[in-house]
Amino acid sequence: MAANEKLIQELRDKYVTVLRNMFELLDNSLSGHTGGSMSMLDIIIALYFHHLKLNPPDYDWPERDRVVLSKAHCCEAIYSVLVEIGYVSRESLKGYNEYRETFQGHADRWATPGMDYSGGSLGQGLSFACGLAMAEKLKTEMNPPVSEIPQFLPRLKTKHNPAYRTFCILGDGECNEGQVWEAAMFANKYKLDNLIAIVDYNKFSLDGPTEEIMPMAPFAEKWAAFGWWVKEINGHDMAEILNTLELANNLYGDGKPKCIIAHTVKGHGIPSWEETHVHLARGIGVEVGVAEGRKIYG
Amino acid sequence: MGKYNQYVQIGEPEAPNAGFEPAMIEMAQKNERVLLVLEDMGGPGLKWFTQNAPNRIIECGVAEANAAVICGGLASEGFIPVAHSFDFALLARAYNQIRQSILVDRFNVKLVGRGGAWGDTGISHNYVETLGFMRCMPNLVILSVADAVEAKKAFIAMMQYIGPVFIRQEAGPVPPKIYTEDYPFQLGKAYSIKDGKDATIIATGLMVGTAIKAEEILEKEGLDVGILDISTLKPLDEDAIIKASVETGAIVTAENGITIGGLGEGVAAVLCENAPCPMVQFGVQDEFSQSGKDSDDRGKLAVHFALTPEDLAVSVREAIAKKK
Repeated sequence: MAANEKLIQELRDKYVTVLRNMFELLDNSLSGHTGGSMSMLDIIIALYFHHLKLNPPDYDWPERDRVVLSKAHCCEAIYSVLVEIGYVSRESLKGYNEYRETFQGHADRWATPGMDYSGGSLGQGLSFACGLAMAEKLKTEMNPPVSEIPQFLPRLKTKHNPAYRTFCILGDGECNEGQVWEAAMFANKYKLDNLIAIVDYNKFSLDGPTEEIMPMAPFAEKWAAFGWWVKEINGHDMAEILNTLELANNLYGDGKPKCIIAHTVKGHGIPSWEETHVHLARGIGVEVGVAEGRKIYG
Repeated sequence: MGKYNQYVQIGEPEAPNAGFEPAMIEMAQKNERVLLVLEDMGGPGLKWFTQNAPNRIIECGVAEANAAVICGGLASEGFIPVAHSFDFALLARAYNQIRQSILVDRFNVKLVGRGGAWGDTGISHNYVETLGFMRCMPNLVILSVADAVEAKKAFIAMMQYIGPVFIRQEAGPVPPKIYTEDYPFQLGKAYSIKDGKDATIIATGLMVGTAIKAEEILEKEGLDVGILDISTLKPLDEDAIIKASVETGAIVTAENGITIGGLGEGVAAVLCENAPCPMVQFGVQDEFSQSGKDSDDRGKLAVHFALTPEDLAVSVREAIAKKK
């Protein structure tokens, strides 16, 4: 199914619904990593509400696509989605970052149904995703599927479906970590074409612009040199996101791990957050942004 | 039988590591989910895997941080990865990775780490500080073996346990064979090799062999010294430690490593809180190791660190003297 106007409108509606969840989350917490959550939100919406093979509310369904949120501080975007797809009750929005609550300050696998990875220490997610992708290859080799794997959500048809695909969402600042490139080498060595990394390239990390903090250009060329299929996209253009995910999916079988570099804007969609490139928002910064957001999105 | 307890029969020297290989092969044959994760430093059962299941060897190259997290990912999908290297690479280089991507979620990963004072590898590789930084980690079981029989049984128990385990592999002086083949190893339980009246040596790993020799020296002086083998360093068998204190009234811990954060401090904490008695911590003091190819436990490195059986006997006399 190619990206069409109707689908894009549906996802746009989902975006607003999810954003309202996020505002509720922030109302109750007044802290979070809003800039990085907003920059990757379009991608998250495209994944969870269209592209991923999921079977909600069964968050532990063995054949679900895996999502490793390596930039695990931006969990509030995913939390807002998990409520919407029915993995987690709406009540949990009120307890973000609180003691024993479902939504912890960083992605926590055991606290939150639907999180596949407990992150927070940057640079490790892609390695974990490699482990999941490698496990899929081994399991399929040990127990070849007898029939075609059922598809629950609208999804693209591939020639040879993997039992599940692994998606890993990275930050650009995170790619300063040497371990990201250790994992990149590993994925190439073991031909993990069932692994799709998406870099939320929002150009800012905590101390400032990523190109000043630690220059990484030429970024796409680096991934290509490590043996990955690479595509650069506008991470806020829903049609381009959907088409690229489809393209990457259809290349399954080529023996190459996939890297989608999504050029995004930190704090996208909320004027004061965009302006300050806010990474870690607390107190008044959150309140102002949420108020702006409610004016824009209702 | 003689003075030793059941299942103990002191034999010819044999490297404890000899027990890992057959145990790994046995478990890999039984369960196809057992994987060998390499960090370009070999590993137990490598030859068997190469010949019988090359697809179950995951070679990560010289990238230990990546390897640790890949183990977490594989375990999250139901595999049982066994990773092997020197302590400095396997554990210290990947410390935060082991915490975040293995221990936080209690993934079923097995870590076989080579360390201790001895080795022909020098200060970079001969890690004496490992226990200090690993024992404080929640969710981790730590094993340390005294001979090849215990090594095999501990390795199998480790594979049958569901959760993260670090098992120590030591180089250095080859200890005597200690246990009979029917020795019933139990995870989390210490084993009393010999009961005593005057003091107990609570030893782990290679130092159990040294304790057996030290006891022989002290026996000639008319002292009745017990030997307790601590094969599970975490969690410690507190009941056995308290019993030794109550029955003998003097404790000497013995370990191939720094006592800070190691067996010495672990036992001291148990005693202080439950059954205080005079004790001496025998092991490496606050110092890094260096090259030392000692083939017996009275070699140059053993003398340098005061880790010979004679040194251990001195510590036992010291502990007994403190009783008065």
